[in-house]
Amino acid sequence: MPLNIDWQQILLHWMNLAILAGGLYFLLYKPVTQFMAKREEHYRTLEEAAAQKRAEAEALRQQYQAQLAAAEEELHRRRTQAEEQTAAQTAEQLTAAREEARRIVSQARADAEQVRSQTRLSAQRELRELAAEAAKKLAAQPDEDPFETFLTLSEGGGDHAGQ
Amino acid sequence: MKPKKGLALCLAVAAVLLIAALLTGSPGRAESVQEAMRDAVLHGTGQISLLHLKNANPGLISALLVTALLLGMAALLRVFVIPRFQYVPGRLQLVIEEAVGLFQRMARTNSPHRNRFLGLYLFTAASYVFVGTLFELLGFQAVTVHGRPITLPAPLSDVNAAIALGCLSYLVILSGGIAGSGARGVGRTLKEFSLPISMSFRLFGALLSGLLVTELVYYYISLSFLLPVVVGVLFTLLHALIQTYVLTMLTALYYGEVSEPDQPKQKKKAAPSAAQI
Repeated sequence: MPLNIDWQQILLHWMNLAILAGGLYFLLYKPVTQFMAKREEHYRTLEEAAAQKRAEAEALRQQYQAQLAAAEEELHRRRTQAEEQTAAQTAEQLTAAREEARRIVSQARADAEQVRSQTRLSAQRELRELAAEAAKKLAAQPDEDPFETFLTLSEGGGDHAGQ
Repeated sequence: MKPKKGLALCLAVAAVLLIAALLTGSPGRAESVQEAMRDAVLHGTGQISLLHLKNANPGLISALLVTALLLGMAALLRVFVIPRFQYVPGRLQLVIEEAVGLFQRMARTNSPHRNRFLGLYLFTAASYVFVGTLFELLGFQAVTVHGRPITLPAPLSDVNAAIALGCLSYLVILSGGIAGSGARGVGRTLKEFSLPISMSFRLFGALLSGLLVTELVYYYISLSFLLPVVVGVLFTLLHALIQTYVLTMLTALYYGEVSEPDQPKQKKKAAPSAAQI
């Protein structure tokens, strides 16, 4: 054969390579790849557990956030309600106060009217009494001008009254 | 101070050996450089008896020794190192995992559909080519059938080993084609009929050129000092890496290509009829 090619030696080389492949597979390749797969599986499990815990924490956070939002909403609602109640009570009290003020003013006006009427009646009565007294005095002093005497008396002629 | 002392000692020993070698001289060559290089290629006279059953090329003996060496190392690692593997790896564990994982990843990347056997084959072939190429640095001696001493070469510098590995890679690719897409995979593989020849002779040529350069360098005693450090070690290391990468990458690429499952054909859109136009 050219180049000293020997098929028997080629077959021996194949046998040698087959033995080498088999030996390396069982002694080195398989154990190492199995270990690498085992380690990969270990870290994948750890990663999955971490991802699961992260998801749980996220769900819990969202749950608390929702609760917080609901509490804030409730707080806002109650504050609004309280403000509305306060405004209603204020308006009611204002109305009552105005009504009371109106009643007091009316009462005052009525009282004032009564006092004025009583004063007027009292003045009229005094005037009448004064007139009667003046007439009586006039009748008692016929030589004096009755008009002048009246004017004097009405301007406070104490002399006559005192007399 | 210690490194300087060590360096000085090494230089002194090298100088003494150089002087001794030059003084003693060469016993004379049994063959010319042409014969030595022809024998390195054809192994016409440098054959070794294989257990007294058959005369074999030195490359076959080297291949058997490389396999024994690899399996011995694997057995030691299996017994003493792998049971102590940790989830956080140490240096040795990292190297072993990277050596295995590199070819596993290469198989997955190039052949995403079918890659379990490919990963193992790439790992085996890469170990064989890399360690086999570096094997020539060890300088194991053997005796030929003619009673002459010979330094065992790299296994793949033997054309039979190169043909065996090249054809085996082709058969692995063919098996991937059959497993992946049946008869279509066979067709795809057979289309690359030149692949086993190119793979075999690429390996043979690359390794043989290294061997011939080394033979040439060592043939003259005056070139045997200092130069082998560069030519022998660095050149061998470099082409061990290159040949390992080339063989595994080619095998993975072709395997992935032929084992790719068939894509379902998309129906062509019906051309608009004349009436519609």
